[in-house]
Amino acid sequence: MGAAEQVHAPVQPALTPLVALLGNPNCGKTALFNRLTGSRQKVANYAGVTIERKEGTFTSPAGTPFRVLDLPGAYSLSAHTPDEAITRDVVAGLRAGESAPDAVICVVSAVNLRLNLRLVLEIQRLGLPMIMALNMVDVAKKRGIVIDTVRMAQELGMPVVETVAVQAGGEKELLRVLDKMPFGDTTPPFPLSVIDAVSVEETQREVRRILDVCTSHESDIGNLTEQIDQVVLHPLAGPLILAAIMFLVFQAVFSWAAVPMDMIKNGVEAVGGWLGTGLSEGPLRSLLVEGIMGGVGSVLVFLPQILILFFFILVLEDCGYLPRAAFLLDRLMGRVGLSGRAFIPLLSSFACAIPGVMAARTIQNPRDRLITIMIAPLMTCSARLPVYALIIAAFIPSRDVGIFNLQGLVLFVLYAAGILSAMAVAWIFQRIMGSHGQQPLMLELPSYHWPHLRNLALGLWERARIFMTRVGTTILVLMILVWFLSSFPGAPEGATHPPIYYSVAGMIGRALSVIFEPIGFGWQICIALVPGMAAREVAVGALGTVYALSAGGADVATSLAPLIAKSWSLATALSLLAWYVFAPQCLSTLSVVKRETGTLRYPLIMAAYMFALAYIASFITYRVALATLGG
Amino acid sequence: MWLSVSQQSRTVQEDHMTLAPTLTTLDTLPVGKSATVIHLAPAASNGQGADVSRRLMELGFVPGERIRVLKRGVPGGEPIAVKVGQSTFALRRFEAALISIKPE
Repeated sequence: MGAAEQVHAPVQPALTPLVALLGNPNCGKTALFNRLTGSRQKVANYAGVTIERKEGTFTSPAGTPFRVLDLPGAYSLSAHTPDEAITRDVVAGLRAGESAPDAVICVVSAVNLRLNLRLVLEIQRLGLPMIMALNMVDVAKKRGIVIDTVRMAQELGMPVVETVAVQAGGEKELLRVLDKMPFGDTTPPFPLSVIDAVSVEETQREVRRILDVCTSHESDIGNLTEQIDQVVLHPLAGPLILAAIMFLVFQAVFSWAAVPMDMIKNGVEAVGGWLGTGLSEGPLRSLLVEGIMGGVGSVLVFLPQILILFFFILVLEDCGYLPRAAFLLDRLMGRVGLSGRAFIPLLSSFACAIPGVMAARTIQNPRDRLITIMIAPLMTCSARLPVYALIIAAFIPSRDVGIFNLQGLVLFVLYAAGILSAMAVAWIFQRIMGSHGQQPLMLELPSYHWPHLRNLALGLWERARIFMTRVGTTILVLMILVWFLSSFPGAPEGATHPPIYYSVAGMIGRALSVIFEPIGFGWQICIALVPGMAAREVAVGALGTVYALSAGGADVATSLAPLIAKSWSLATALSLLAWYVFAPQCLSTLSVVKRETGTLRYPLIMAAYMFALAYIASFITYRVALATLGG
Repeated sequence: MWLSVSQQSRTVQEDHMTLAPTLTTLDTLPVGKSATVIHLAPAASNGQGADVSRRLMELGFVPGERIRVLKRGVPGGEPIAVKVGQSTFALRRFEAALISIKPE
């Protein structure tokens, strides 16, 4: 979806104490951050890099305001990924523009102390004031793990508090301890070399010693996660379950969204109709009704589908399924020369290629990273969803094929086409660049747990906000621009076509249609392709405006689907679907690729290969469809 | 059982002549079997081994630790899901080959 906000984090004067949340991945750190700050969060990027920086504020019971920074999850300060490097540099006070935290809250999972405690010992060597937040104590109790926190605090020489980040009030104890900490005369952290003063083995021995004296595992109750994994990672059942889940997602995107989409559509139409009757005939009415309501309204209507897609992505992420999917797909990825770690960036690309391209930074090998970046835009981003949804709704009948809905089936095929072509392209790139040594995977398969409604709600709210901001800014501006270009100059005397045909946009569209006629795109579609470069979903909005102006009436405000169903052949519709599977990307993706690779070469190669693939795929689709369907 | 494990790992052992004959590496351990970590290879031929070994130790693969293979991916038996302590990690075959073990 939208370009991640590029706002650099403002450097605030350190008047309020800054505490950093630090911990292993999967320790519930972000849940604790959400619990502490609620919606008082600022999401930005670390200056100069594209890693998300989350800062929030909260006030302790004693009335002290705090700033809190949610550092990227890390297994160690000897960083393996750029994410871990950020965590290392921030906590050691090495990042320009970031002051070292006044205190560190090291979050550890009570059910995974064996792994988590080592990082605590490592951070402790930096000499910063520290609290250990023993998170997920509720789960640990259920599993029969007994932890003597008083003894552990003695052994570690720092306060140890129990937290349950997923429960209201689960952070109380932490706040109480934080209030008692002295702030003000913080000494800077020791240099990072102190970390290596003790060997990894020795630290691990210390971890074992502390665990031996502080914890007892009364009964090893049958491990549910292991039992689930017996099925989910099963050689045969595993891939079937993965396919079934993906299928369910695409079915849901269509069937669940119908009602809210109708509501938004009716709402927009009502406003458009009201504006249409309330204003007198003229350019202003045309701008508001056809330009803004017709254009922006036709994009807005896809909000429910995008939220449903993200609902599933967030649930799968939260409950711990995603690393399992990476496990199942690792061989396939390895076969085409990708690192197993490429799965996460590629999955993010289903939301938007931009965070996907950025997430490729977690891949160590430069060549692997480059291939992942190059294929990321082939994953069907959520900006394509409006285009797909519009054409499918207009041309594919909503009937059942066996147990499946035909519309959902077509959408699934489009997503699958994107994935398969990405694999093929990766294989070709790997061939061109030559093979190389093996890449480590070392992927943690965390315990399953139920997704937390609060985190889910915050995640969806964030997505809705980004989408609405985009509709209100980029898309609105582009729609107004499209309307202007499509409205002026007006039609000459005795015109036989609608006025838009003679406008600037009409001229551009007609010029482009020379290139696109062979793949079935008329001049109206060509007009929409140009602003679609700025943001793919704008193509839908632009079509809305173009057809509203072509038909020239107040009756058409938002019902774009029946209009295009009337004016396009099925072959054209299928061809446009094929076009958008490869769709020469949005400019923001290309600019991020340039920034990430540091050269203009790769975005140019990317644009060229995608344009070629799109044209070839559309040409074949159009010609085959013409031959078999007879136009 | 034991015999088949050491047969599978013969090629690996030939690379590591210094190891005792009862030792093998994690990549040869069948699903469901447990073992004890004996030692981690300091470096592999691609030069990245030292880095990878350090990280494996940080994740808990330290000498003396008991580990168990939970699942293997298909096709080709990789990645390998290994239980170490309370955590589970998926490793590729070459990563697992850095870990010398004594099967139970």
